[in-house]
Amino acid sequence: MRDWTRQKTERATRMDAAAPFADGKVVAADNATDMLRRVIKSGDRVCLEGDNQKQADFLASCLAQVDPADIHDLHIVQSGLVLPEHLDLFRLGIAKKLDFSYSGPQSGAIARALDQGKIELGAIHTYIELFARYYVDLTPNVALIAGVCADRDGNLYTGPNTEDTPTIVEATAYKSGVVIAQVNKIVDKVPRVDIPGDQIDFVVEAPRPFYVEPLFTRDPGAVTDSQILMAMIALKGIYAEYRPKRLNHGIGFATAAIELLLPTYGEKLGLRGEVATHWALNPHPTLIPAIESGWVEQIHCFGSEVGMDRYMSARPDVYFTGKDGTLRSNRLMCQNAGLYACDMFIGSTLQIDLAGNSSTVTPDRIAGFGGAPNMGSDAHGRRHVSDAWLKAGREAAGGAGPLVRGRKLVVQMVETFGEGMKPAFVEELDSLALARKLNMELAPVMIFGDDVTHIVTEEGIANLLLCRNADDVEQAIRGVAGYTPVGMARDRAKVEALRQRGVIRRPEDLGVDPMEANRNLLAARSIRDLVTWSDGLYSPPSKFRNW
Amino acid sequence: MIPEEIVRSPSWYESSARNRITGLLDAETFREILGPAERVMSPHLELFDLPPAFDDGVIVGRGQLDGKPVAIIAQEGQFMGGTFAEVSGAKIVGLLRAVTASAGTPDGVSAVLLLLDTGGVRLQEANAGELAVSETVRALLGVRAAGIPVVALVGGRAGAFGGGGIVTACCSHVVISEQGRISVTGPEVIETNKGAEEFDSRDRALVWRITGGRSRVLLGGADSYVKGDVASFRAAAARSRNAAPPFTLETMAAEQDRLEKRLSSYGDCRDTPEIWARAGLADPASVPDIDDDAFLALLSEREIKHDAR
Repeated sequence: MRDWTRQKTERATRMDAAAPFADGKVVAADNATDMLRRVIKSGDRVCLEGDNQKQADFLASCLAQVDPADIHDLHIVQSGLVLPEHLDLFRLGIAKKLDFSYSGPQSGAIARALDQGKIELGAIHTYIELFARYYVDLTPNVALIAGVCADRDGNLYTGPNTEDTPTIVEATAYKSGVVIAQVNKIVDKVPRVDIPGDQIDFVVEAPRPFYVEPLFTRDPGAVTDSQILMAMIALKGIYAEYRPKRLNHGIGFATAAIELLLPTYGEKLGLRGEVATHWALNPHPTLIPAIESGWVEQIHCFGSEVGMDRYMSARPDVYFTGKDGTLRSNRLMCQNAGLYACDMFIGSTLQIDLAGNSSTVTPDRIAGFGGAPNMGSDAHGRRHVSDAWLKAGREAAGGAGPLVRGRKLVVQMVETFGEGMKPAFVEELDSLALARKLNMELAPVMIFGDDVTHIVTEEGIANLLLCRNADDVEQAIRGVAGYTPVGMARDRAKVEALRQRGVIRRPEDLGVDPMEANRNLLAARSIRDLVTWSDGLYSPPSKFRNW
Repeated sequence: MIPEEIVRSPSWYESSARNRITGLLDAETFREILGPAERVMSPHLELFDLPPAFDDGVIVGRGQLDGKPVAIIAQEGQFMGGTFAEVSGAKIVGLLRAVTASAGTPDGVSAVLLLLDTGGVRLQEANAGELAVSETVRALLGVRAAGIPVVALVGGRAGAFGGGGIVTACCSHVVISEQGRISVTGPEVIETNKGAEEFDSRDRALVWRITGGRSRVLLGGADSYVKGDVASFRAAAARSRNAAPPFTLETMAAEQDRLEKRLSSYGDCRDTPEIWARAGLADPASVPDIDDDAFLALLSEREIKHDAR
């Protein structure tokens, strides 16, 4: 007779072992490591909440203190692997296998650890891909999460940076796992219940508030004339052309420039209310001028952004907020919104090859994917229509047949020469060399060429929807690659023919005057300007101030 | 609606050195000396595989402000950090000496406008740069001794650091905006030598609380505070040309006295809000955050004046 309740029995055993270190659900910070020793077993799948922004950093440092002789071979399943402590787990031999999405600052350390065999890599996922696997074959045994505050029953207020927490907890708590939350404070009553206490086993008041990285603040002071030119090209050649109302922006300076041009150049083009009204977007401070100018109907957020909380609380018609007045973000929901409910993704990349594949991998760094491959992909399951989606689909099909389905606009913006004058256009992506070096079966590609619809550079737009074969695509890309070796190797006649067909559009074809592209066109030219636009509600982190 | 103070353009901080000169002087009056067409460039940068600039990042010449002749020097902070080097230094010193020589002649000027935007000495030409700073100080004091005021205008991205901070302190009058910074040892240098506990250069609010325009004008390191647009700098330059104190032993003694009193009153403070509290400002912590109008009101209501210099 098979035992059908092994997981529940196992859970009960662990909870009993941990009980002496807790007062009800509350665990003192000093007892946290001892409690973890009782709850976690070698070989467990552990989610040590590392999100894109929020980090369960105290629990991470506690876990790094356990003896690898007692606990080893953990399988870490978390979206963001961004703290040094996360890497320590592998270096010390506490953890062995890794499935993740994004690494940011640890991208170099992960590549080295992989090279040295310290990490056994499962896969690099997009966010919702990893979240999906939490419910199929990567369900955590133990989740260590972060919240703003909790009551003694474990009711959790995750606040503006809710991010991944509900998704992690749901998968763990309903599959006999153990959920432990670090909070900044234990309170009598939480402002709102983001996660019901029923799903939380232990809460620990951490000695320091959890760490949050301001990832989405782009200083308008650093936007260049060339990025402004690209933003003008995009507004005239894509926003005005396809009129996408629902969209997501990447985090680069090129899209920040677009946000800052909406109230000025966009207004001049008569686009207010016609484009960019509904967003799946992190709280970009650079969008404040457009919001204040009446461009934006509503925004759903993956996470929050340091300094934006007071502004968002004061704009509940635009942002999703709880009854307590603060933002509620949710990465799973917002990624899903970006996949199915947006007509356009536009973002920057580092490298593009001749088939339009793009990557942010350099030979010694594995930054992961985050959400871009999901945002930047055409959802084949989509069945509702919009004008922008249908227009893109008709262009791809070359006509308007009875069964022509739409396409999501996936736009890559890139300056022909990137940082350190490195050409952005290459014959072969660096990620292929990395994959060969680390014996990866699949080279990390951010967005595959068949999902990309447009490439925007300071030389113009390559519309890949209108390309009919691989040669068209290659010459269209070479045609906007400027003076890079890839651009210099273009076939002049073919590129001219593509321009006649409207596949390549130069600034002059669009009526964009490069001489007009200067910083005076920006609705805000400094972080201080953004504070002024927000009526003093935005309080930027100190590292972005120049006053 | 775009807030009025954002469209009020062009901004000093954003503008290039050439655009600052254009906005500062009467239209069509600027006559450049050793302009870019003459291509007097740094002979050293090529050794470091660094691109030179046709004007070596400094623009010097003569023009008019409100119909009166002035000499003008502008550093381009975006080229090599606006640094003092062999060629750029020689252009500055040469113009200052020419101004002294022409004092009292038909070529005489009413003032020298010094548009500082510099991190100090150019490290690739360190010896020449150090000499340039010393010679600039000597020549600048010569201009003042000839009875011609030298007005420093500080509000660029690079601020006025290193030797640029010393040169600023030697001027007859210092005009600054919120974004302007004046100091000798830069924040990164302090952090490198003394550690982030001593000075965290990435804490930009701290950097501006210590070196920024508001703190400098409240402490007397600058004399006039202006909003950050070019027109405000122009108005202040024209005004302060007539307000400069005479370059006499009495002025120097008064300045020494003022600095000694400042040191004894605030020398033990760790941060500027402590100073503001001790000086009796109502809301010391709010000084960086209030807008320019409120700050100007604060300055005028407290009648903060630093006559010496």
